[in-house]
Amino acid sequence: MNAPFYKFAAFGDEASLVIAFVIGIGFGFFLERSGFGSARKLTSQFYLDDLAVFKVMFTAIVTAMLGVFYLSWLGIMDLSLVDLVSTSLWPQIVGGLVLGFGFVIGGYCPGTSLVAAVTGRIDGMVFVLGVLAGIFVFGEAFPLLRGFYESGDFGRLTLPQAFHLPYGLVVFLVVVMAVGGFMGAGWVERRFAPPAAER
Amino acid sequence: MPRPHWTLNRALAAAALLLGVVAIAGSPYRGSTVRIDTQELATIVDSKVDHITVQELADWIIQGRTDYRLIDLRSEVEYAAYHVPTAENVPVAQLPGYGLGRNEKIVLYSEGGIHSAQAWFLLRAQRYPGAYILFGGLEAWKGEVLYPVAPAAATPQEDATFERIAQVARFFGGGPRAAAVAADSGALMAMPATPGAGFEPPRAPAAGGPARPGAKKKRKEGC
Repeated sequence: MNAPFYKFAAFGDEASLVIAFVIGIGFGFFLERSGFGSARKLTSQFYLDDLAVFKVMFTAIVTAMLGVFYLSWLGIMDLSLVDLVSTSLWPQIVGGLVLGFGFVIGGYCPGTSLVAAVTGRIDGMVFVLGVLAGIFVFGEAFPLLRGFYESGDFGRLTLPQAFHLPYGLVVFLVVVMAVGGFMGAGWVERRFAPPAAER
Repeated sequence: MPRPHWTLNRALAAAALLLGVVAIAGSPYRGSTVRIDTQELATIVDSKVDHITVQELADWIIQGRTDYRLIDLRSEVEYAAYHVPTAENVPVAQLPGYGLGRNEKIVLYSEGGIHSAQAWFLLRAQRYPGAYILFGGLEAWKGEVLYPVAPAAATPQEDATFERIAQVARFFGGGPRAAAVAADSGALMAMPATPGAGFEPPRAPAAGGPARPGAKKKRKEGC
């Protein structure tokens, strides 16, 4: 059987919802177990004394990338069938900045705020309400924002296409970036870690 | 020979690096060489899962669905004279280089069914799993959606069903025919005006509009 299973009609809409539910529970569980239900843990990243968020996320990226790449190379998966969000450069830069500011100020990103909320943290619940309010305001203001929202659309652009590099080389470079990043993160943590008495 | 500080983290990092180095030699895409699994294609043809009926397509257009590409395989002249709303004109000869996505649901139609069937094979052979044929082509669209034939001696229930069909027909600029007229000839079935390039069906049909017939059925086709 070939992947992606949904595109090859191995299961229908209803089954896909069940699978999404199970994967979602797994995702939330591992976020919580990584300590990401705590705003203190998450914001430690910005004080440079605990870069666990960076390490966990980059590990997930590299694991998924290698998995998808090798499954496709072995012919088990058809990468051309995987949906890609199209690249809209400027709106995505602005959106990233908005999310980043929200992360620094509120202490959560959307996914981790849900984890925090269901583990009973009040700041997490307030954050979720804020996210919903933001979604509502954005939805209502969409006619005004539409021009910008749809600007700079590059279509479904991937790094190998953008930089005219062989796919495998990009995979290698991302792995090198990740391993280099982990080593750098270890050094930064030792450099900025508060003395034991302060913790 | 594991050294003393050969921790799990380092082992994983080394494994990732090794996989990264090997990856330089590879590509996830299988290139332009294609192996056609004729048995698989034959099975699909036999089981008729590659068909979209004109009623299903009419529902999608009325619902304003955007998760499919409707491809009109006829000539530009024929396309200009009339085409199904939301269709793009791609004569068969231009199909291989047209830039359809492999992850898209592609519905093909021609006048009857021959060109769309040939184009379907073309796309399936290039590993487009989401290619479908509009069953019966434009002729079926004309005869079943635009100008449906009213049942001759209908029960009240059949009448109610047909009223929905007639509403769909009017939505697309056609209208129902009486059975006697239909048997006579198709000469009365003039095509409605060509929908403009920016045809956008209303999101929710007006009160008198079609009542989303078959909304449950189409879930199977979701993409």
